[in-house]
Amino acid sequence: MNEFDQLRTLWQTADTSALPDSQAMLRLVRKFRNQKLQKKWLVIGLAVLFSLLITAVLCLVHFQLPGTYIGGALMTLSGILLAITNLRSLKRFYRLNDYSNAEFLAFIEQTRRNQVRYYQKTMVWIVALASIGWFLYLYETVAPYPEWLAGTYCFAFAYICVLWFIVRPRAFRRDARKLDALRQKIENISKQLT
Amino acid sequence: MTDFEDIYQQYSPQIYRVCLGYTNDAEQAKDLMQETFISVWKNLAGFRQEAQLGTWIFRIATNHCLRALEIVRRMPPAEMPLHLADVPEESPEEKLSWLYRAIATLNETDRIIISLELEGLPQAEIAAVVGLSQGNIRVKIHRIKEKLAKQLKMYERI
Repeated sequence: MNEFDQLRTLWQTADTSALPDSQAMLRLVRKFRNQKLQKKWLVIGLAVLFSLLITAVLCLVHFQLPGTYIGGALMTLSGILLAITNLRSLKRFYRLNDYSNAEFLAFIEQTRRNQVRYYQKTMVWIVALASIGWFLYLYETVAPYPEWLAGTYCFAFAYICVLWFIVRPRAFRRDARKLDALRQKIENISKQLT
Repeated sequence: MTDFEDIYQQYSPQIYRVCLGYTNDAEQAKDLMQETFISVWKNLAGFRQEAQLGTWIFRIATNHCLRALEIVRRMPPAEMPLHLADVPEESPEEKLSWLYRAIATLNETDRIIISLELEGLPQAEIAAVVGLSQGNIRVKIHRIKEKLAKQLKMYERI
């Protein structure tokens, strides 16, 4: 027996008895198959639900000011835009089957471009529509009470500022770092394969 | 029994060993094996028999291994375990542990290639899994075997 055969024999001694059986694996697969994309599905679900809810309120409740309807419509539109953007993103991920490293690298590059476009354009539109819509929608309810009006608008403005100037850049940097690390790794592997 | 269950029973130990050879970490290997079979389950209906089933599954597994970022963070490039001389009696587990650590000194693709070779896959199939020519795989395997044999001799001397 040569040295490599010894290593092969040794290799086969790895304990695999603790692996889940096929039934357990099936249960696991059904449970976790979409786990990685669950966040996106959740965003889509919530955005659609939110849009439906606002539409229902606009249809059922009689408001005095046209601004309230415009505000509601803008918020609904932002919800739909958010759902569509995430659906398009999901479609790309579901197509990602059995890719070569070069194709995967191209996928990462495309994801990176989409990410930049999302943060620089799509998200600006979504946040702008939702914020303007929110401000307009709230006005009719709080206008008769000056303290509430001031308090509500201060809170809404502060909330949007925190989201825009703190949460958004951090999320962008975190996602960008992750994508860069993945790209570097795949580039390194691709080099090894040439 | 469904097709998936047959496939799982046939390939899970092999996939686990390859993932373990790559990660040198039993928990990560188990996670990667599970991710592999989640992908297999999702894509089995669309599998078009263009490649052999085994080749397809091993390619999914190697893709998961090579693209897992966590492994880079948790597994810095390993050094050869020279302290093994301190081990009075070598058990099979210790020898296996030495083998994993020896494999961990290789670069990512070499780790995958040698794991597949140790698993007994034909070189043509390894070439199809990794995406290199058969000639290239033959040369790489030869070099990796030389490295491992050298380390094995050193280990036995110790």
